[in-house]
Amino acid sequence: MTIAQQALTVHINGQNVTLDVPEGLMMIDFLHEYLNLTGSRFGCGQGVCRACTVILDNTDGTSEEIRSCITGAHFFNGKKIRTIEGHGKKNDKGEVVAVSPIQQKFLEHYSFQCGYCTPGFVNAATVLIEKLQREPVAKEQVEETITHALDSHLCRCTGYVRYFEAVKDVILTTPGLIK
Amino acid sequence: MIKSTLLAVAGLAAVLLSGCSASDSVASKPAPADQIKRGQYLAQAADCMVCHTAKDGSGAPFAGGYPIHSPFGVIYGTNITPDKEHGIGAWSADDFFTAVTEGITPKHRLFPAMPYASYKSMTREDSDAIYAYLMTKKPVALANKENGLSFPFSFRPGLFFWQSAFLKDQLPDVSSGASAEWQRGRYVTNVLGHCAECHTPRTMAGNLDLSQSYQGNPKLDRIGAPDITPSGLAARGWTTTDLATFFAKGVAPQGSAYGEMYPVVHFSTQHMSGKDISAIATYLMGDTPPAPQPLKTISADAALLKAGQRTYIAVCAGCHGLEGQGKPNVSVAMKGNSTLRDINPQNLIVSTLDGIAEQKFPNNVTMQEMPGFARTLSDLEMSQLVNFLRATWGGQAADVSAEQIKAFRSEKH
Ligand code: FES
Ligand code: FES
Repeated sequence: MTIAQQALTVHINGQNVTLDVPEGLMMIDFLHEYLNLTGSRFGCGQGVCRACTVILDNTDGTSEEIRSCITGAHFFNGKKIRTIEGHGKKNDKGEVVAVSPIQQKFLEHYSFQCGYCTPGFVNAATVLIEKLQREPVAKEQVEETITHALDSHLCRCTGYVRYFEAVKDVILTTPGLIK
Repeated sequence: MIKSTLLAVAGLAAVLLSGCSASDSVASKPAPADQIKRGQYLAQAADCMVCHTAKDGSGAPFAGGYPIHSPFGVIYGTNITPDKEHGIGAWSADDFFTAVTEGITPKHRLFPAMPYASYKSMTREDSDAIYAYLMTKKPVALANKENGLSFPFSFRPGLFFWQSAFLKDQLPDVSSGASAEWQRGRYVTNVLGHCAECHTPRTMAGNLDLSQSYQGNPKLDRIGAPDITPSGLAARGWTTTDLATFFAKGVAPQGSAYGEMYPVVHFSTQHMSGKDISAIATYLMGDTPPAPQPLKTISADAALLKAGQRTYIAVCAGCHGLEGQGKPNVSVAMKGNSTLRDINPQNLIVSTLDGIAEQKFPNNVTMQEMPGFARTLSDLEMSQLVNFLRATWGGQAADVSAEQIKAFRSEKH
Protein backbone atom coordinates (compact mmCIF):
# COMPACT_ATOMS: atom_id res chain seq x y z
CA MET A 1 0.00 0.00 0.00
CA THR A 2 1.31 3.43 -0.82
CA ILE A 3 0.58 6.34 1.42
CA ALA A 4 -0.58 9.38 -0.52
CA GLN A 5 1.83 12.26 -0.17
CA GLN A 6 0.94 15.89 -0.37
CA ALA A 7 3.18 18.94 -0.61
CA LEU A 8 3.38 21.08 2.50
CA THR A 9 4.92 24.50 2.99
CA VAL A 10 5.05 25.96 6.47
CA HIS A 11 6.88 28.95 7.85
CA ILE A 12 8.39 27.67 11.09
CA ASN A 13 10.41 29.77 13.51
CA GLY A 14 11.33 32.26 10.81
CA GLN A 15 12.10 29.81 8.02
CA ASN A 16 10.10 28.31 5.18
CA VAL A 17 10.01 24.53 5.00
CA THR A 18 8.64 22.67 2.00
CA LEU A 19 8.28 18.89 1.96
CA ASP A 20 6.07 16.13 0.59
CA VAL A 21 4.51 14.39 3.57
CA PRO A 22 1.75 11.78 4.05
CA GLU A 23 -1.77 13.17 3.86
CA GLY A 24 -2.92 12.00 7.27
CA LEU A 25 0.15 13.15 9.20
CA MET A 26 -0.50 15.04 12.43
CA MET A 27 1.52 18.21 13.00
CA ILE A 28 3.38 16.93 16.03
CA ASP A 29 4.69 13.97 14.02
CA PHE A 30 5.75 16.31 11.25
CA LEU A 31 7.73 18.42 13.74
CA HIS A 32 9.31 15.39 15.42
CA GLU A 33 9.94 13.06 12.52
CA TYR A 34 10.60 15.35 9.59
CA LEU A 35 12.16 18.44 11.16
CA ASN A 36 13.72 17.01 14.31
CA LEU A 37 11.94 19.71 16.31
CA THR A 38 11.30 17.51 19.30
CA GLY A 39 10.61 20.24 21.86
CA SER A 40 6.82 20.13 21.41
CA ARG A 41 5.71 17.37 23.75
CA PHE A 42 3.39 14.53 22.96
CA GLY A 43 1.42 14.05 26.16
CA CYS A 44 -2.13 12.77 25.87
CA GLY A 45 -2.26 12.78 22.08
CA GLN A 46 -5.93 13.63 22.25
CA GLY A 47 -6.15 17.36 22.76
CA VAL A 48 -6.48 17.50 26.53
CA CYS A 49 -3.11 18.30 28.14
CA ARG A 50 -1.83 20.93 25.69
CA ALA A 51 1.83 19.90 26.06
CA CYS A 52 1.97 19.86 22.25
CA THR A 53 0.78 23.47 21.79
CA VAL A 54 2.40 25.54 19.06
CA ILE A 55 1.79 29.17 18.19
CA LEU A 56 -0.02 30.10 14.99
CA ASP A 57 0.77 33.61 13.74
CA ASN A 58 -2.25 34.94 11.92
CA THR A 59 -1.96 37.38 9.03
CA ASP A 60 -3.76 40.07 11.04
CA GLY A 61 -0.90 40.16 13.56
CA THR A 62 -2.68 38.14 16.24
CA SER A 63 -1.32 34.86 17.56
CA GLU A 64 -3.13 31.81 18.89
CA GLU A 65 -2.48 28.39 20.40
CA ILE A 66 -3.01 25.24 18.36
CA ARG A 67 -2.73 21.67 19.62
CA SER A 68 -0.34 19.95 17.22
CA CYS A 69 -1.33 16.42 18.30
CA ILE A 70 -4.87 16.70 16.92
CA THR A 71 -4.24 19.05 14.02
CA GLY A 72 -3.14 17.69 10.67
CA ALA A 73 0.16 18.94 9.28
CA HIS A 74 -1.56 20.23 6.15
CA PHE A 75 -3.77 22.49 8.19
CA PHE A 76 -0.66 24.64 8.46
CA ASN A 77 0.02 24.75 4.73
CA GLY A 78 0.97 28.34 3.85
CA LYS A 79 0.74 29.37 7.52
CA LYS A 80 3.28 30.75 9.94
CA ILE A 81 4.01 29.07 13.26
CA ARG A 82 6.39 29.17 16.20
CA THR A 83 7.43 26.19 18.30
CA ILE A 84 9.31 26.09 21.58
CA GLU A 85 12.55 26.05 19.60
CA GLY A 86 11.76 29.49 18.18
CA HIS A 87 11.73 31.57 21.38
CA GLY A 88 15.38 31.98 22.29
CA LYS A 89 17.78 34.35 20.54
CA LYS A 90 20.38 32.54 18.49
CA ASN A 91 23.80 33.59 17.22
CA ASP A 92 25.09 33.04 13.69
CA LYS A 93 26.10 29.50 14.52
CA GLY A 94 22.56 28.71 15.60
CA GLU A 95 23.43 28.54 19.29
CA VAL A 96 20.93 29.90 21.79
CA VAL A 97 22.39 32.97 23.44
CA ALA A 98 19.35 34.27 25.32
CA VAL A 99 15.96 32.93 26.33
CA SER A 100 12.72 34.90 26.02
CA PRO A 101 11.48 36.98 28.99
CA ILE A 102 8.80 34.39 29.78
CA GLN A 103 11.32 31.55 29.69
CA GLN A 104 13.61 33.59 31.94
CA LYS A 105 10.86 34.11 34.52
CA PHE A 106 9.94 30.42 34.45
CA LEU A 107 13.57 29.68 35.36
CA GLU A 108 13.70 32.31 38.08
CA HIS A 109 10.47 31.09 39.65
CA TYR A 110 11.43 27.39 39.45
CA SER A 111 8.15 26.96 37.66
CA PHE A 112 8.63 23.46 36.32
CA GLN A 113 9.92 20.19 37.62
CA CYS A 114 10.08 17.43 34.98
CA GLY A 115 9.46 20.06 32.30
CA TYR A 116 7.23 17.96 30.13
CA CYS A 117 4.44 20.52 30.10
CA THR A 118 6.76 23.51 29.84
CA PRO A 119 6.80 24.01 26.04
CA GLY A 120 3.01 24.25 26.13
CA PHE A 121 3.10 26.72 29.01
CA VAL A 122 5.77 28.86 27.32
CA ASN A 123 3.70 29.05 24.15
CA ALA A 124 0.45 29.77 26.01
CA ALA A 125 2.08 32.48 28.13
CA THR A 126 3.68 34.02 25.03
CA VAL A 127 0.31 34.16 23.26
CA LEU A 128 -1.13 35.80 26.37
CA ILE A 129 1.62 38.43 26.59
CA GLU A 130 1.20 39.24 22.89
CA LYS A 131 -2.53 39.62 23.39
CA LEU A 132 -1.94 41.99 26.30
CA GLN A 133 0.41 44.05 24.12
CA ARG A 134 -2.53 44.59 21.79
CA GLU A 135 -5.23 44.79 24.44
CA PRO A 136 -3.88 45.68 27.90
CA VAL A 137 -6.06 44.83 30.91
CA ALA A 138 -6.66 46.64 34.20
CA LYS A 139 -4.37 45.61 37.06
CA GLU A 140 -7.26 44.05 38.99
CA GLN A 141 -7.97 41.74 36.07
CA VAL A 142 -4.44 40.35 35.74
CA GLU A 143 -4.92 37.27 37.90
CA GLU A 144 -8.22 36.34 36.32
CA THR A 145 -6.73 36.87 32.85
CA ILE A 146 -3.81 34.54 33.57
CA THR A 147 -6.07 31.87 35.03
CA HIS A 148 -8.32 32.03 32.02
CA ALA A 149 -5.39 31.85 29.56
CA LEU A 150 -3.53 28.95 31.21
CA ASP A 151 -6.44 27.07 32.71
CA SER A 152 -6.58 24.31 30.13
CA HIS A 153 -2.87 23.44 30.33
CA LEU A 154 -2.09 20.44 32.51
CA CYS A 155 1.06 19.96 34.60
CA ARG A 156 1.34 16.49 36.13
CA CYS A 157 4.00 17.74 38.52
CA THR A 158 1.41 20.32 39.61
CA GLY A 159 3.64 23.35 39.29
CA TYR A 160 0.68 25.59 38.60
CA VAL A 161 1.32 28.21 41.29
CA ARG A 162 4.85 28.91 40.16
CA TYR A 163 3.85 29.13 36.53
CA PHE A 164 1.15 31.53 37.61
CA GLU A 165 3.54 33.66 39.64
CA ALA A 166 6.08 33.79 36.83
CA VAL A 167 3.52 34.92 34.26
CA LYS A 168 2.18 37.51 36.67
CA ASP A 169 5.74 38.77 37.23
CA VAL A 170 6.24 39.23 33.47
CA ILE A 171 2.94 41.05 33.09
CA LEU A 172 3.55 43.40 36.01
CA THR A 173 7.14 44.22 35.03
CA THR A 174 6.75 44.60 31.27
CA PRO A 175 5.59 48.08 30.27
CA GLY A 176 2.39 48.36 28.25
CA LEU A 177 0.57 45.21 29.33
CA ILE A 178 -1.57 46.92 31.96
CA LYS A 179 -3.78 49.93 31.41
CA MET B 1 -63.94 41.42 21.32
CA ILE B 2 -60.70 39.74 22.20
CA LYS B 3 -60.64 41.57 25.50
CA SER B 4 -64.16 40.50 26.46
CA THR B 5 -63.42 36.89 25.49
CA LEU B 6 -60.35 36.89 27.66
CA LEU B 7 -62.27 38.37 30.56
CA ALA B 8 -64.91 35.68 30.18
CA VAL B 9 -62.17 33.06 30.18
CA ALA B 10 -60.67 34.60 33.29
CA GLY B 11 -64.03 34.44 35.05
CA LEU B 12 -64.59 30.87 34.00
CA ALA B 13 -61.13 29.88 35.10
CA ALA B 14 -61.71 31.50 38.48
CA VAL B 15 -64.89 29.48 38.92
CA LEU B 16 -63.14 26.30 37.88
CA LEU B 17 -60.22 26.92 40.14
CA SER B 18 -62.26 27.84 43.19
CA GLY B 19 -62.82 24.15 43.80
CA CYS B 20 -59.15 23.54 44.34
CA SER B 21 -57.98 23.92 47.87
CA ALA B 22 -54.35 23.84 48.69
CA SER B 23 -54.41 22.27 52.07
CA ASP B 24 -57.43 19.98 52.18
CA SER B 25 -55.55 16.77 52.51
CA VAL B 26 -51.87 17.54 52.78
CA ALA B 27 -50.15 14.33 53.78
CA SER B 28 -49.36 14.42 57.42
CA LYS B 29 -48.15 10.87 57.94
CA PRO B 30 -44.76 10.06 56.50
CA ALA B 31 -44.99 7.93 53.38
CA PRO B 32 -43.71 4.35 53.58
CA ALA B 33 -40.08 3.93 52.63
CA ASP B 34 -40.74 1.73 49.63
CA GLN B 35 -43.22 4.24 48.21
CA ILE B 36 -40.60 7.00 48.55
CA LYS B 37 -37.99 4.82 46.88
CA ARG B 38 -40.36 4.05 44.06
CA GLY B 39 -41.17 7.76 43.81
CA GLN B 40 -37.49 8.57 43.42
CA TYR B 41 -37.22 6.02 40.62
CA LEU B 42 -40.32 7.40 38.91
CA ALA B 43 -39.16 11.01 39.28
CA GLN B 44 -35.99 9.99 37.46
CA ALA B 45 -37.91 8.08 34.80
CA ALA B 46 -40.18 11.11 34.34
CA ASP B 47 -37.06 13.30 34.19
CA CYS B 48 -38.44 15.90 36.61
CA MET B 49 -35.07 17.12 37.80
CA VAL B 50 -33.75 18.64 34.57
CA CYS B 51 -36.50 21.19 34.06
CA HIS B 52 -36.97 21.88 37.77
CA THR B 53 -33.31 22.66 38.54
CA ALA B 54 -31.26 25.70 37.47
CA LYS B 55 -29.27 24.88 34.34
CA ASP B 56 -25.84 26.00 35.51
CA GLY B 57 -26.01 23.78 38.56
CA SER B 58 -26.16 26.85 40.81
CA GLY B 59 -29.48 25.98 42.38
CA ALA B 60 -30.65 23.18 44.61
CA PRO B 61 -32.22 20.18 42.88
CA PHE B 62 -35.94 20.68 42.20
CA ALA B 63 -35.80 24.35 43.28
CA GLY B 64 -36.60 25.56 39.76
CA GLY B 65 -35.02 28.05 37.38
CA TYR B 66 -34.33 26.03 34.24
CA PRO B 67 -35.19 28.10 31.14
CA ILE B 68 -37.33 26.41 28.52
CA HIS B 69 -37.30 28.31 25.25
CA SER B 70 -40.60 28.19 23.41
CA PRO B 71 -41.68 30.10 20.33
CA PHE B 72 -43.85 32.15 22.70
CA GLY B 73 -41.03 33.16 25.02
CA VAL B 74 -39.02 31.71 27.83
CA ILE B 75 -40.69 29.69 30.60
CA TYR B 76 -38.85 28.75 33.77
CA GLY B 77 -39.14 25.40 35.52
CA THR B 78 -40.68 25.98 38.95
CA ASN B 79 -39.72 25.16 42.51
CA ILE B 80 -41.14 21.73 43.36
CA THR B 81 -39.43 21.31 46.70
CA PRO B 82 -41.79 21.10 49.72
CA ASP B 83 -41.37 24.80 50.55
CA LYS B 84 -44.83 26.00 51.59
CA GLU B 85 -44.61 29.43 50.01
CA HIS B 86 -42.60 28.96 46.82
CA GLY B 87 -42.73 25.22 46.28
CA ILE B 88 -45.40 22.55 46.54
CA GLY B 89 -45.27 22.12 50.32
CA ALA B 90 -48.87 23.25 50.74
CA TRP B 91 -50.20 20.89 48.08
CA SER B 92 -52.03 17.66 48.79
CA ALA B 93 -51.42 14.47 46.82
CA ASP B 94 -54.71 15.29 45.03
CA ASP B 95 -53.39 18.74 44.08
CA PHE B 96 -50.19 17.17 42.81
CA PHE B 97 -52.05 14.63 40.69
CA THR B 98 -54.24 17.36 39.16
CA ALA B 99 -51.19 19.52 38.39
CA VAL B 100 -49.23 16.67 36.83
CA THR B 101 -52.05 15.16 34.78
CA GLU B 102 -54.21 18.18 33.97
CA GLY B 103 -51.87 21.15 34.26
CA ILE B 104 -53.92 22.88 36.94
CA THR B 105 -52.30 23.78 40.25
CA PRO B 106 -54.03 25.22 43.34
CA LYS B 107 -52.93 28.67 42.12
CA HIS B 108 -53.23 28.64 38.35
CA ARG B 109 -53.06 26.77 35.09
CA LEU B 110 -49.67 25.53 33.94
CA PHE B 111 -48.12 26.34 30.61
CA PRO B 112 -47.70 23.22 28.49
CA ALA B 113 -43.93 23.46 28.89
CA MET B 114 -44.88 21.17 31.77
CA PRO B 115 -45.55 18.00 29.77
CA TYR B 116 -48.97 17.25 31.25
CA ALA B 117 -50.17 16.41 27.74
CA SER B 118 -47.96 13.33 28.16
CA TYR B 119 -48.32 12.88 31.89
CA LYS B 120 -52.10 12.93 31.60
CA SER B 121 -52.16 9.12 31.58
CA MET B 122 -49.91 8.77 34.62
CA THR B 123 -51.40 6.38 37.15
CA ARG B 124 -52.58 7.76 40.46
CA GLU B 125 -50.26 5.34 42.21
CA ASP B 126 -47.20 6.65 40.33
CA SER B 127 -48.18 10.26 40.92
CA ASP B 128 -48.60 9.59 44.65
CA ALA B 129 -45.19 7.94 44.82
CA ILE B 130 -43.48 10.89 43.12
CA TYR B 131 -45.34 13.23 45.46
CA ALA B 132 -44.21 11.20 48.48
CA TYR B 133 -40.62 11.35 47.26
CA LEU B 134 -40.65 15.10 46.57
CA MET B 135 -42.07 15.71 50.05
CA THR B 136 -38.95 14.14 51.55
CA LYS B 137 -36.72 16.73 49.87
CA LYS B 138 -35.41 19.72 51.78
CA PRO B 139 -37.72 22.74 51.30
CA VAL B 140 -35.93 25.51 49.43
CA ALA B 141 -37.35 29.01 49.92
CA LEU B 142 -36.54 30.19 46.42
CA ALA B 143 -39.07 32.31 44.57
CA ASN B 144 -40.04 31.21 41.07
CA LYS B 145 -38.65 33.19 38.17
CA GLU B 146 -40.92 35.43 36.13
CA ASN B 147 -41.60 33.87 32.74
CA GLY B 148 -40.59 35.86 29.69
CA LEU B 149 -43.81 35.34 27.77
CA SER B 150 -45.52 38.10 25.85
CA PHE B 151 -49.25 38.79 25.94
CA PRO B 152 -51.54 36.98 25.12
CA PHE B 153 -49.41 33.88 25.79
CA SER B 154 -48.66 35.06 29.30
CA PHE B 155 -52.39 35.09 30.14
CA ARG B 156 -52.83 31.89 32.09
CA PRO B 157 -56.65 31.68 32.10
CA GLY B 158 -56.42 31.53 28.30
CA LEU B 159 -54.83 28.12 28.81
CA PHE B 160 -58.33 26.82 29.52
CA PHE B 161 -58.90 26.72 25.76
CA TRP B 162 -55.58 25.07 25.07
CA GLN B 163 -56.17 22.44 27.71
CA SER B 164 -59.76 21.74 26.63
CA ALA B 165 -58.68 21.46 23.01
CA PHE B 166 -55.53 19.39 23.32
CA LEU B 167 -55.67 17.36 26.50
CA LYS B 168 -58.14 14.94 24.97
CA ASP B 169 -55.85 13.91 22.15
CA GLN B 170 -54.42 10.43 22.41
CA LEU B 171 -50.86 10.04 21.24
CA PRO B 172 -50.82 7.59 18.33
CA ASP B 173 -48.55 4.62 18.96
CA VAL B 174 -45.12 4.93 17.42
CA SER B 175 -44.93 1.24 16.55
CA SER B 176 -47.09 -1.85 16.65
CA GLY B 177 -46.86 -4.50 19.29
CA ALA B 178 -48.79 -6.39 21.91
CA SER B 179 -46.18 -7.99 24.17
CA ALA B 180 -46.11 -7.12 27.87
CA GLU B 181 -42.77 -5.45 27.31
CA TRP B 182 -44.20 -3.31 24.52
CA GLN B 183 -47.17 -2.33 26.74
CA ARG B 184 -44.86 -1.32 29.55
CA GLY B 185 -42.68 0.53 27.02
CA ARG B 186 -45.68 2.47 25.82
CA TYR B 187 -46.26 3.81 29.35
CA VAL B 188 -42.60 4.49 30.11
CA THR B 189 -42.01 6.17 26.72
CA ASN B 190 -45.23 8.08 26.15
CA VAL B 191 -46.13 8.97 29.71
CA LEU B 192 -43.17 8.92 32.10
CA GLY B 193 -40.37 9.62 29.64
CA HIS B 194 -42.61 12.05 27.71
CA CYS B 195 -40.35 11.43 24.73
CA ALA B 196 -42.90 12.71 22.23
CA GLU B 197 -42.70 16.20 23.73
CA CYS B 198 -39.29 16.76 22.10
CA HIS B 199 -39.43 14.30 19.22
CA THR B 200 -42.71 15.52 17.72
CA PRO B 201 -43.07 18.80 15.84
CA ARG B 202 -45.49 21.35 17.24
CA THR B 203 -48.25 23.31 15.53
CA MET B 204 -48.63 27.07 15.64
CA ALA B 205 -50.70 26.65 18.81
CA GLY B 206 -47.80 24.94 20.53
CA ASN B 207 -49.45 21.52 20.79
CA LEU B 208 -47.88 18.35 19.46
CA ASP B 209 -48.65 17.75 15.80
CA LEU B 210 -49.93 14.22 16.27
CA SER B 211 -50.04 13.56 12.54
CA GLN B 212 -46.25 13.50 12.75
CA SER B 213 -45.73 12.02 16.19
CA TYR B 214 -42.18 10.92 16.92
CA GLN B 215 -41.01 12.04 13.47
CA GLY B 216 -38.57 14.52 14.99
CA ASN B 217 -38.59 18.22 15.77
CA PRO B 218 -35.73 20.12 14.13
CA LYS B 219 -36.94 23.31 15.80
CA LEU B 220 -36.47 22.03 19.35
CA ASP B 221 -33.25 24.01 19.75
CA ARG B 222 -30.10 24.55 17.70
CA ILE B 223 -29.69 20.81 17.98
CA GLY B 224 -32.99 19.33 16.86
CA ALA B 225 -34.67 16.14 18.05
CA PRO B 226 -34.34 13.41 15.40
CA ASP B 227 -37.00 11.09 13.98
CA ILE B 228 -37.41 8.15 16.38
CA THR B 229 -40.11 6.20 14.58
CA PRO B 230 -39.11 2.57 13.84
CA SER B 231 -38.44 3.39 10.18
CA GLY B 232 -36.56 6.60 11.06
CA LEU B 233 -34.37 4.75 13.55
CA ALA B 234 -33.76 1.76 11.28
CA ALA B 235 -32.78 4.12 8.45
CA ARG B 236 -29.98 5.41 10.68
CA GLY B 237 -28.85 1.91 11.63
CA TRP B 238 -30.48 1.58 15.05
CA THR B 239 -31.56 -1.75 16.50
CA THR B 240 -33.55 -2.45 19.65
CA THR B 241 -30.38 -3.66 21.38
CA ASP B 242 -28.33 -0.60 20.40
CA LEU B 243 -31.11 1.70 21.57
CA ALA B 244 -31.16 -0.04 24.95
CA THR B 245 -27.37 0.37 25.17
CA PHE B 246 -27.75 4.05 24.32
CA PHE B 247 -30.33 4.68 27.06
CA ALA B 248 -28.30 2.77 29.65
CA LYS B 249 -24.82 4.05 28.77
CA GLY B 250 -25.33 7.18 26.68
CA VAL B 251 -23.05 5.74 24.00
CA ALA B 252 -23.81 3.20 21.29
CA PRO B 253 -22.12 2.28 18.00
CA GLN B 254 -24.31 4.97 16.37
CA GLY B 255 -22.97 7.77 18.59
CA SER B 256 -23.38 9.41 21.99
CA ALA B 257 -26.18 11.44 23.51
CA TYR B 258 -25.70 15.18 22.97
CA GLY B 259 -27.78 18.32 22.81
CA GLU B 260 -30.95 18.04 24.89
CA MET B 261 -30.60 14.25 24.95
CA TYR B 262 -27.46 14.41 27.06
CA PRO B 263 -29.23 15.53 30.26
CA VAL B 264 -31.99 13.02 29.52
CA VAL B 265 -29.50 10.16 29.68
CA HIS B 266 -27.57 11.78 32.50
CA PHE B 267 -30.49 12.42 34.84
CA SER B 268 -33.05 9.92 33.63
CA THR B 269 -32.53 6.90 31.41
CA GLN B 270 -29.23 5.67 32.87
CA HIS B 271 -30.98 5.29 36.24
CA MET B 272 -33.79 3.16 34.85
CA SER B 273 -33.99 -0.57 35.41
CA GLY B 274 -32.78 -2.83 32.59
CA LYS B 275 -36.38 -3.93 32.16
CA ASP B 276 -37.73 -0.43 31.64
CA ILE B 277 -34.88 0.46 29.30
CA SER B 278 -35.59 -2.61 27.16
CA ALA B 279 -39.26 -1.73 27.27
CA ILE B 280 -38.62 1.75 25.80
CA ALA B 281 -36.40 0.29 23.09
CA THR B 282 -39.03 -2.33 22.27
CA TYR B 283 -41.80 0.23 22.16
CA LEU B 284 -39.81 2.55 19.87
CA MET B 285 -38.86 -0.23 17.45
CA GLY B 286 -42.01 -2.37 17.82
CA ASP B 287 -42.46 -6.06 18.59
CA THR B 288 -41.29 -6.83 15.05
CA PRO B 289 -38.58 -4.23 14.46
CA PRO B 290 -37.56 -3.23 10.94
CA ALA B 291 -34.06 -4.35 9.92
CA PRO B 292 -31.36 -1.71 10.34
CA GLN B 293 -30.49 -0.22 6.96
CA PRO B 294 -26.97 -0.84 5.66
CA LEU B 295 -24.95 2.24 4.74
CA LYS B 296 -25.76 3.35 1.21
CA THR B 297 -22.92 3.97 -1.20
CA ILE B 298 -23.10 7.50 -2.44
CA SER B 299 -21.66 8.75 -5.66
CA ALA B 300 -20.42 12.31 -5.40
CA ASP B 301 -18.00 14.61 -7.10
CA ALA B 302 -14.50 13.29 -6.27
CA ALA B 303 -12.87 16.71 -6.11
CA LEU B 304 -15.52 17.94 -3.72
CA LEU B 305 -15.08 14.94 -1.46
CA LYS B 306 -11.31 15.32 -1.58
CA ALA B 307 -11.56 18.93 -0.39
CA GLY B 308 -13.78 17.81 2.47
CA GLN B 309 -11.45 14.99 3.35
CA ARG B 310 -8.51 17.41 3.57
CA THR B 311 -10.41 19.50 6.07
CA TYR B 312 -11.39 16.35 7.95
CA ILE B 313 -7.75 15.28 8.22
CA ALA B 314 -6.69 18.79 9.20
CA VAL B 315 -9.06 19.35 12.09
CA CYS B 316 -11.11 16.20 12.85
CA ALA B 317 -9.05 13.07 12.25
CA GLY B 318 -6.76 13.67 15.24
CA CYS B 319 -9.67 12.64 17.47
CA HIS B 320 -12.19 10.86 15.22
CA GLY B 321 -9.54 8.79 13.41
CA LEU B 322 -8.43 8.77 9.78
CA GLU B 323 -10.98 6.07 9.01
CA GLY B 324 -13.70 7.72 11.07
CA GLN B 325 -13.42 4.98 13.64
CA GLY B 326 -13.43 7.22 16.74
CA LYS B 327 -11.43 6.62 19.93
CA PRO B 328 -12.72 5.16 23.17
CA ASN B 329 -13.16 7.85 25.83
CA VAL B 330 -12.21 10.54 23.34
CA SER B 331 -14.65 10.74 20.47
CA VAL B 332 -17.46 8.83 18.80
CA ALA B 333 -17.04 7.06 15.48
CA MET B 334 -18.08 8.95 12.39
CA LYS B 335 -18.59 5.80 10.37
CA GLY B 336 -22.26 4.89 10.58
CA ASN B 337 -22.92 7.71 13.04
CA SER B 338 -26.61 8.41 13.49
CA THR B 339 -26.15 12.16 13.00
CA LEU B 340 -24.25 11.68 9.73
CA ARG B 341 -26.95 9.28 8.57
CA ASP B 342 -29.73 11.79 9.25
CA ILE B 343 -31.21 13.09 6.02
CA ASN B 344 -31.45 16.49 7.72
CA PRO B 345 -27.89 17.89 8.06
CA GLN B 346 -28.85 20.38 10.80
CA ASN B 347 -27.38 18.58 13.81
CA LEU B 348 -24.16 17.76 12.00
CA ILE B 349 -23.73 21.37 10.90
CA VAL B 350 -24.62 22.87 14.27
CA SER B 351 -22.39 20.55 16.29
CA THR B 352 -19.49 21.23 13.92
CA LEU B 353 -20.04 24.99 14.23
CA ASP B 354 -20.73 25.16 17.97
CA GLY B 355 -18.81 22.14 19.31
CA ILE B 356 -20.01 19.80 22.04
CA ALA B 357 -19.09 20.16 25.72
CA GLU B 358 -17.29 17.32 27.48
CA GLN B 359 -19.64 14.46 28.33
CA LYS B 360 -19.53 12.12 31.30
CA PHE B 361 -21.34 8.82 30.98
CA PRO B 362 -21.83 5.88 33.35
CA ASN B 363 -18.89 3.60 34.21
CA ASN B 364 -16.37 6.44 33.87
CA VAL B 365 -16.85 6.69 30.14
CA THR B 366 -16.19 10.20 28.89
CA MET B 367 -16.29 11.92 25.57
CA GLN B 368 -13.90 14.79 25.32
CA GLU B 369 -14.94 18.33 24.62
CA MET B 370 -15.26 18.89 20.90
CA PRO B 371 -14.25 22.42 19.89
CA GLY B 372 -16.55 24.37 17.60
CA PHE B 373 -15.11 25.26 14.20
CA ALA B 374 -17.18 28.34 13.42
CA ARG B 375 -14.09 30.54 13.56
CA THR B 376 -11.64 28.11 11.95
CA LEU B 377 -13.58 27.05 8.87
CA SER B 378 -15.25 29.13 6.17
CA ASP B 379 -18.78 28.36 4.95
CA LEU B 380 -17.32 26.64 1.90
CA GLU B 381 -14.83 24.54 3.89
CA MET B 382 -17.53 23.58 6.36
CA SER B 383 -19.92 22.55 3.58
CA GLN B 384 -17.18 20.44 1.96
CA LEU B 385 -16.45 18.80 5.30
CA VAL B 386 -20.11 18.08 6.03
CA ASN B 387 -20.62 16.67 2.54
CA PHE B 388 -17.57 14.45 2.87
CA LEU B 389 -18.84 13.12 6.20
CA ARG B 390 -22.37 12.53 4.95
CA ALA B 391 -21.35 10.85 1.71
CA THR B 392 -18.48 8.78 3.10
CA TRP B 393 -19.80 7.56 6.44
CA GLY B 394 -23.46 8.57 6.48
CA GLY B 395 -24.85 7.26 3.19
CA GLN B 396 -26.40 10.66 2.59
CA ALA B 397 -26.20 12.94 -0.43
CA ALA B 398 -23.36 15.46 -0.57
CA ASP B 399 -25.78 18.28 -1.16
CA VAL B 400 -25.19 20.77 1.66
CA SER B 401 -24.46 24.25 0.34
CA ALA B 402 -22.27 26.99 1.80
CA GLU B 403 -25.46 29.09 2.10
CA GLN B 404 -27.01 26.49 4.38
CA ILE B 405 -23.94 26.65 6.62
CA LYS B 406 -24.18 30.41 6.67
CA ALA B 407 -27.82 30.26 7.71
CA PHE B 408 -27.01 28.09 10.72
CA ARG B 409 -24.02 30.23 11.57
CA SER B 410 -26.01 33.41 11.87
CA GLU B 411 -28.90 31.83 13.74
CA LYS B 412 -29.02 33.30 17.23
CA HIS B 413 -30.49 31.51 20.22
S1 FES C 1 -0.49 16.02 23.52
FE1 FES C 1 -1.66 17.43 22.47
S2 FES C 1 -3.04 18.09 23.91
FE2 FES C 1 -1.99 16.51 24.97
S1 FES D 1 6.62 20.08 35.21
FE1 FES D 1 6.23 17.99 35.03
S2 FES D 1 4.37 18.01 33.95
FE2 FES D 1 4.62 20.03 34.39
